[in-house]
Amino acid sequence: MPTRPAIVAVGRTRFGEHYEKEPEKLIEEAWLKASMEADLERKDLEACYLSDYFLPITNKLGLEEGFLSELTELHVPMEVTRSFSSALSNACNAIQAGRYSMVLVGGIEKMTDRWDKIRDDLMLLEDPWSYYAGCTPEANHELMLRAYIKEYGLNGENLETLNTALAQISVKNHLHGTRNEYAQYQRKITVEQVLNARKEAHRPLGLYDYAPVSDGAAILILTSEEVAKKLTNKPVYVLGVSSATDYLTYPAREDMTHFLVSEISMKNALKMAGKNLWDVQLVELYDQSTVMEMVSLEDMGFCKRGTAWRNIHESCQDYKGYYEIDGNKLFVNMSGGLKADGNPLGATGGAQIFEVVKQLRKEACERQVNPDEELECGCVLELEGFGTKGYVCVLGRE
Amino acid sequence: MSSEPIERRVSYLGDRLRGNRCLICGKEYFEIRDYCGNCGRKSFGKMVNTDLFYEKGKLELCTLVNEPTNKFTKLGSYIYGTVSFHDCRIRVPGRLTDRTAICNEEVDFSSLEGREVVPRFRRRYSVDKSDVIPTISLAFTFADEYYPHQEYKIIRPKKEYDLPGIVGYGVYTSRFRIREGNIERSVPFIDEDSITAAVEAGKLALIHSGVDNSCIGKIYVGSESNPYAVKPIASKVAQVLKLGEENEDVQGVDAIDTEFACKAATSMFKDAVSLVNYPKSNIKYAMVIGTDNSQAAPRDCPGGELDLFVGYGAAAFIFGKQDVIAEIEGWYSCTSDTPDFWRRDGEPHPMHGGRFTGDPAYFKHVRMSAKKLMEQLNLQVGDVDYFVAHQPNVQFPVRIAKELGFKEEQYAPMLQVAKFGNTYSGAVPIGLAAVLDRAKPDNRILIASYGSGAGSDAYSLVTTNQILDKRHNQRLTIAYQAQNPFLEHVDYTTYRRLKLGM
Repeated sequence: MPTRPAIVAVGRTRFGEHYEKEPEKLIEEAWLKASMEADLERKDLEACYLSDYFLPITNKLGLEEGFLSELTELHVPMEVTRSFSSALSNACNAIQAGRYSMVLVGGIEKMTDRWDKIRDDLMLLEDPWSYYAGCTPEANHELMLRAYIKEYGLNGENLETLNTALAQISVKNHLHGTRNEYAQYQRKITVEQVLNARKEAHRPLGLYDYAPVSDGAAILILTSEEVAKKLTNKPVYVLGVSSATDYLTYPAREDMTHFLVSEISMKNALKMAGKNLWDVQLVELYDQSTVMEMVSLEDMGFCKRGTAWRNIHESCQDYKGYYEIDGNKLFVNMSGGLKADGNPLGATGGAQIFEVVKQLRKEACERQVNPDEELECGCVLELEGFGTKGYVCVLGRE
Repeated sequence: MSSEPIERRVSYLGDRLRGNRCLICGKEYFEIRDYCGNCGRKSFGKMVNTDLFYEKGKLELCTLVNEPTNKFTKLGSYIYGTVSFHDCRIRVPGRLTDRTAICNEEVDFSSLEGREVVPRFRRRYSVDKSDVIPTISLAFTFADEYYPHQEYKIIRPKKEYDLPGIVGYGVYTSRFRIREGNIERSVPFIDEDSITAAVEAGKLALIHSGVDNSCIGKIYVGSESNPYAVKPIASKVAQVLKLGEENEDVQGVDAIDTEFACKAATSMFKDAVSLVNYPKSNIKYAMVIGTDNSQAAPRDCPGGELDLFVGYGAAAFIFGKQDVIAEIEGWYSCTSDTPDFWRRDGEPHPMHGGRFTGDPAYFKHVRMSAKKLMEQLNLQVGDVDYFVAHQPNVQFPVRIAKELGFKEEQYAPMLQVAKFGNTYSGAVPIGLAAVLDRAKPDNRILIASYGSGAGSDAYSLVTTNQILDKRHNQRLTIAYQAQNPFLEHVDYTTYRRLKLGM
């Protein structure tokens, strides 16, 4: 049986606008936290798996690997991918293959330096043809909502409930953000604020439905099971990690009401982890918009298609800290999600994993969840583009 | 975009909305590919080229974009969504165009979704003044509004004529107007220019004529408002309309732009008919387009008097010897070096010689070409059913018509300047189109263009029986575009902004 990759330390920066900091300062800050947690030195690292979505474009950098080599004075193998989960996935393969026994997985993004050009960058990288046709980073989320409403024939009271449920997602994530010292937004908002922002925008979704543009970095140390047991008494194992790919152009996909990549990667990750769906007690979803959180609950199988809004609405009427779905408790986006925690693309997945690791280790302080049964298993969904790639990572204590 | 090779590839696909269909499973793709994703290797050689240029789509989903990305900010707010074709076998992203001032109104998306749309060839987004102008047809308008969907059906020619002449024609003006006093003028939408109008007019001429686009051997485009000093409009028209046989991604057609102020297009009518009549020529048809987003300085600047008259539009004529609707029986052209109107290279707006543009310029040349042609063909005023003259304003064409002895019923149908403004190279072609829209068989039409600088071309045309057969091929007639319930009137500030473009 191959070794199980284990996370022995995590570290991150607060997400937000870090105008005064250079990208290397952010990654250094995250590294210091992680290395102190496991009492490690740079020279212990055998390789680095890094992620950034478009740091060389936004910050006019050369090869990120060289940049990190200079910073760390390390000459080990380093690979760069576009999302944290992708870096983690590659690192897991290397550990399981027995190639390395200790590697760094890190993610960084610095989006605010790019100022108003960031939306053009985001859209061009998401899908050039949609960009040429006039799409914005927000428009596809709104089209997905329109597709959802039409597919399930929602109107009248149901439509109103759906719109309220989406607002409640944002309110809930902001509430969670108040308990997260690293979150970009640590303040509560109300359903009215979300609804009013939509009205002001004259659009189906408004300012409070969308995750912000952020700077930030996150790092974790991944080791083999044997090494992990020597370093910590609270290792968190990567039980399953899987990904899937879909067309770049969202309108060209057959079904516009959901993300195929989430569905596929969740199924495969659970299979790899040997877990059932409801073994998962805690999930960090990729809520670039409130619609994405709702749809992802369905994509991952927690809610039946076309019904997540009902579960959300019912759970949020008197919110107890979790969604109640068919008698099961599901803790969703305890970090505040992308909405409140922030969304520095290449580092976002790192913060999602950071959250699940902290929860599993019972180190989440105010945010600590207490399910009916012992907390054993959580998972993370990360997307690239508008559902062009999806990664699911299942984490557990055993 | 600063990469010209990428621009070439994007506009090659996007202007025409080119795609593929797998002959094995029927799956359709936007963008060209050698293999079908379903069928794999066995589909090699079994992918047929398709395009959506003349198709009708359906707006499936939409939302409002009121915070566009940087390159789209000049469009203001617009509706963006997904458009499906062929019963949803193919779906593309797209924006609605030709809509102003929607930023502050509540849009009921469900009232727009499900409606039929037509792809429109437009500028894609703003770029620097020195860049190549990006274009695309992922811009749409509703089929039940100003611009209806019209099928392009290639019709096998039935009859060969002794004399070559007009085989079909098309006129395009936008749905925006500015009304000042008793004159109404067409105004381009912000993503339109003389290139997009030329393509539209050419498309409508193909639809009207039923001529096979691959049989057109030469395309002339006359304009004085080409957004490029160097780069032809004709190459874009040839590419988008697929004129001539296509080999790989190159069209087997000769394309050239001409310039002689407002007579740049009419001058080429004789070249076109001569070309198709040359015994050893393998060119069956030639297309001539006059297109202008007529330029004028703002009112308080030198040359600003033109700002009261300039319009926007294009007219395209296809010439050939088969299925002719109006034979050309003769012509006369004259030229003198008369500097009554000019624009120096690099200057955005033309200058104007005031009263010098009248008697010593317009009247002198138009009078001479018309009179000489009538002498040459031995024509009396009574032999002519319709007279068409260049129309820089409302007075000039009426004065010259009267002076030449024409009665109101002979010249009134050509007067379009009060509806569309002075469309420069498009002016006489639009006047001619207005006459052809109503002429009966065996009518004689005398036209006399004028180009500052200066010169005039006169032609005599005689209509055939086939003019009636082809009339039902075209819904976008001059009258349809002049009196359309979907016209939108804009104020002076909006007019200047729209004219300036993206």
